[in-house]
Amino acid sequence: MTEDTKSDESRRHFLKSMALGSAVMGASAVAPGLPLTKTSGAAKADGHAKQKMAFIQWQPHTVPNAWSKGIEEVLNAQEIFDYQLLDGQNKVEVQVSLMDTLINDGASVIFLQPIDSVALAPSIASAKRRGISVITLNIDATEEHAAHVEMNHYFGAKEIARVMGEKMGGTGEVAIMNAPPGIIIRDQRTNGFVEGMAEYHPGISIVADVNAEWSRQKAQDALNTVLASNPNVTGVYGVNDSMALGAVDVAKQKGILDQMTIFGNDGERDALESIEAGELTGTQYTDVYQQGRFAASAATVMATGGISARDFQSQGTLLMPYIIATAENVGGIQEAQRW
Amino acid sequence: MSGEILLETREVSKRFGNFVALKSASIAVTAGKVIGFVGSNGAGKSTLIKVITGAHAPSSGSVHVRGKEVHKADPALMRALGVACIYQHSSLVATLSVIENVFLGREMRGRLGLVSHKAQRVQLQEIMDDFGIHVDPDVLVSTLTPVKQKEVEILKALVANADVILMDEPTAWLSLSEVSNLHTTIRKLTAANKGVVYISHVLDEVFQICDDITILRDGTMAWTGPEADIDRPKLVNLMVGEALGEASRAAVTSERRPRGTGTVKLATDKLSKQGVFHDVTFEVNAGEILCFAGLIGSRRSEVVKCLFGDDKPTSGTIISKGGVKTFGSPAEAIANGICLVPEDRHTEGLCLSHTTFENTVIPSLVEVTNRGVLMRKDMDAMCTRQITSLNILPPDPAKVVGQMSGGNQQKVLLGKWIEKDPEVLILDEPTVGVDVGAKAEIYAIIRKLRDEGAAVIVVSSDLEEVMTIADRILVFSNGEITTEFDAGEVTNDLLIHAIGGGESA
Amino acid sequence: MISKIAARVPNGGLIAFFVVMTLFFCFFARNFATATNVENILVGYSFIAIVALGQMFPIMARGIDLSIGSILALAGMVVFDAILIFELPGWIAIILAIAAATLAGTLNGLFIVILSLQPFVATLATLAGYRGLVYAISGRQLYPELATTPLRDPSLAWFNEYYDVGAWFGLDAFITTPWIPASFLVLLVVMVFLYVLLAKTPYGTALKATGGNKEAARLAGLRVRMIEVSAYAMSGFLAGIAAVLLVARLTTSTEALGIGMELTAIAAAVIGGTRLLGGQGNVLGPVLGAFFLGVVLIGLTLMGISQFVQQMLTGAILLAAVGYDAIRRGAGQ
Repeated sequence: MTEDTKSDESRRHFLKSMALGSAVMGASAVAPGLPLTKTSGAAKADGHAKQKMAFIQWQPHTVPNAWSKGIEEVLNAQEIFDYQLLDGQNKVEVQVSLMDTLINDGASVIFLQPIDSVALAPSIASAKRRGISVITLNIDATEEHAAHVEMNHYFGAKEIARVMGEKMGGTGEVAIMNAPPGIIIRDQRTNGFVEGMAEYHPGISIVADVNAEWSRQKAQDALNTVLASNPNVTGVYGVNDSMALGAVDVAKQKGILDQMTIFGNDGERDALESIEAGELTGTQYTDVYQQGRFAASAATVMATGGISARDFQSQGTLLMPYIIATAENVGGIQEAQRW
Repeated sequence: MSGEILLETREVSKRFGNFVALKSASIAVTAGKVIGFVGSNGAGKSTLIKVITGAHAPSSGSVHVRGKEVHKADPALMRALGVACIYQHSSLVATLSVIENVFLGREMRGRLGLVSHKAQRVQLQEIMDDFGIHVDPDVLVSTLTPVKQKEVEILKALVANADVILMDEPTAWLSLSEVSNLHTTIRKLTAANKGVVYISHVLDEVFQICDDITILRDGTMAWTGPEADIDRPKLVNLMVGEALGEASRAAVTSERRPRGTGTVKLATDKLSKQGVFHDVTFEVNAGEILCFAGLIGSRRSEVVKCLFGDDKPTSGTIISKGGVKTFGSPAEAIANGICLVPEDRHTEGLCLSHTTFENTVIPSLVEVTNRGVLMRKDMDAMCTRQITSLNILPPDPAKVVGQMSGGNQQKVLLGKWIEKDPEVLILDEPTVGVDVGAKAEIYAIIRKLRDEGAAVIVVSSDLEEVMTIADRILVFSNGEITTEFDAGEVTNDLLIHAIGGGESA
Repeated sequence: MISKIAARVPNGGLIAFFVVMTLFFCFFARNFATATNVENILVGYSFIAIVALGQMFPIMARGIDLSIGSILALAGMVVFDAILIFELPGWIAIILAIAAATLAGTLNGLFIVILSLQPFVATLATLAGYRGLVYAISGRQLYPELATTPLRDPSLAWFNEYYDVGAWFGLDAFITTPWIPASFLVLLVVMVFLYVLLAKTPYGTALKATGGNKEAARLAGLRVRMIEVSAYAMSGFLAGIAAVLLVARLTTSTEALGIGMELTAIAAAVIGGTRLLGGQGNVLGPVLGAFFLGVVLIGLTLMGISQFVQQMLTGAILLAAVGYDAIRRGAGQ
């Protein structure tokens, strides 16, 4: 029953995001050519300053780096924006302080990868009061804001479960290399997988769910421990690619790689190469450059289209398209799309 | 060659801003001889040493090694020219072995640039045989006695091919018999044509070991010449000036008051600590100075620690204020009017990075607190009182203690306990590393406390000191009291005999 | 006269540097010299200043407390649980949180004194231990729906209020004065309290003596073990107060709260002239150090300097502060 309401809600969100997404796509394609961008906005009126936009990341990592690149591509093409990447240092209080600073500095749009959904909510509220649009990436905030662009964690993980189960022939035991608790995307990626397995492959049982702290080394230790107590495990799901690659290391070292089905999540360059080498079975791939471009396009519309943050009565959510990359289709992911 | 001048300074002066630390000092270190530098703290000894070791460049004048002028003040250069200095406080690394210390920074390399332990061992053994110094190369320095540590430092200098060896207060932490061991070693050095500079406050030693003596006072050379040409009273006068010289002699001849007023302030009955000391029974009276004499290692400090509640005896009793007491902590002993000025002022006595003011008030915090708040006025008064009455120099409450001379540090340490107005004051080696002038002042302070009715216990390994201030003497040997003397009736020889069991007599 | 006053202020060099840096940003960083920015700095760094003041105590006793970040998270989670799970009034939650933090600090001290552990090792262990405890008691884990429920308790919310202090004195008629956040007022109260404790009570002198030379302090009859424990208890206590301010600002608490806080606090204390060798410290230093870090971070952000350059500059400032102290003391010899 909860199942139904959840998927209903998700579907509604999905539709809304499709709408926003197409608007964004259209805008980004057209925006550079619009005379509107050259003449309007506070930037010109000021005479000297460009409009300021900044991205407050969680901490330096491949994913936010790729977002930042995507954002820069779009913003730099338009020459009326100053863009700055800021480091949240993995600390909520630093992110909050940077939010305050950007608000004071009169930024027009703030991209934010919040460390916590609630903790950043007061900052987002005060940005809204000043007419500043906030676009969140991957992690939503409890305060309604302009837009949220997210990897499709839940449905992607569900899809991973479906493909993985097929590769395993519908039976066997699976271990999850998980992240520490307390982070929403960890829960979405875990729940999607667990519920997907239950739905598509009831014959497969999940026998272990261990904390490997996002890390390749930790995952190696963790899988060794798991295999000692559950020798029949033939499937491993890493909640991110690093942990899945840690599992690959262990399987290679034990010489059981050909009996193992190992899936990651994210789709970073190393994982794709591992799939091409015939080691990692698959991963959920999202084009995070594109995710950054979508966010930046939305920001451009808001900054130049005269739409104020206060005009957003309800928040738009954009779920990123994804593919489950396996040996069969990984070659289709272009070099320029790899991060 | 014996008689060759290894190192000399010619008319060396050193100024720091307007302050002249050293004026026209000309000294010569001769192969095969020991030259002694004597002088109060601040007389310019340290400056002279620093010029010789290359730590300071002279403002005028020159330094010559084997007749050649050295143009640059550079410690590494002076070491390379064969000048080594052994400082009062050990410069060895306690956690390394003897051989590692000796070759520290000048390891002998074998093939591939790796340390050749074998070659080092051979060379060290040769040097030890040549000079008759014997130390196990593999033991940790921290396990050695102080005199052995000095020998290791000498070995280190010899391995570095030093011809001129400076020793700054080398006997500050040594016992009588160890001093004589060290002197034997120094004799071996001079026999091998090394030149030795010997700096000490202990005049007996200076007269024993030195061939030449240079007396420094207020930055100038007050006298220099062969040891045979000067006697002790003249030397003291030259060193500290007529007036203080008088005072220091008067101290020796002052009145003795064995058993003071006859009121027992602190007593013990068969106080013992398993394997350390046993059956220590004594009493100390108001108005007397009781000296614990003995060799280093005769466990006097351990007894004193038990009296102060810093350690627990295994049997026997301490009687204080008419009752049997067991002190669980120094705080309890202090509450009973017993104070201890510990032996090592650096590690146990003072907060060196703190000021005179802070050090003085630490034991007396309760006295200057009113309703939980410190009374700044009382604290200032307390500090000023001690600075004035003890003549602490510089007379600045905000002076950091670590930057003061040994004698003044000791006065600060005394001052902080005097403020507690102790009934029993225990001083453990109160004048180690303190110059003659300050020593006389400290003795005067101790006497004044006695005259005001305090019972004073002085633990001392310095025979001169015991003979100077004691009213009564207890001789310790191996954790037992072997003899008791009234100070008036004992001679130097008698006491040496009692302490050394005959060996140093 | 002026030199006499300067001699009594122990942080003269730092204050001068602080003023120069601030002036620099006022001229070169856009929107730095605004009332809102002052508010941002005050509200963003008051709680860090309080943590740094706490860190000063173990450092003065020649120790260190690496676990304050975890203690802060523990106190934060106590507030979270007390209000959201047990539905206690905010002021009780605050008292419980500060008590828990003080207890955690006291435990640190007891480990160090009773088991004779090195402070670095002991608090490194509790850094992990207390963090584990935070996960164990986390209301976000026990009731996942609470993870998205903000704390709206009025007594907690008070700590996030602003006061127009300038208007009380009629200053707002002339310039736009920043409104003063409650957390800064809390900091001022803490500073006054600690100043009295360190400068006017025997405890302060005893603590400095213990850090300066523990053996000498013990032989002077001070209860050095108690004093050492108290230093860690103070560190915990102040981390608890900081936790309340932070939770009020974030309207929630997280399991990862305060990770890396120990390094920020140590940096602030060191920049403020607290010597890591112990025995010294004053109330002004760590506070200046904390706000200095804030001024630099915000100033450089407003100038558009890249985050990596910012980190290098912060490191350089830390080195400069320590180097300056070493040179100054070298000159005093």
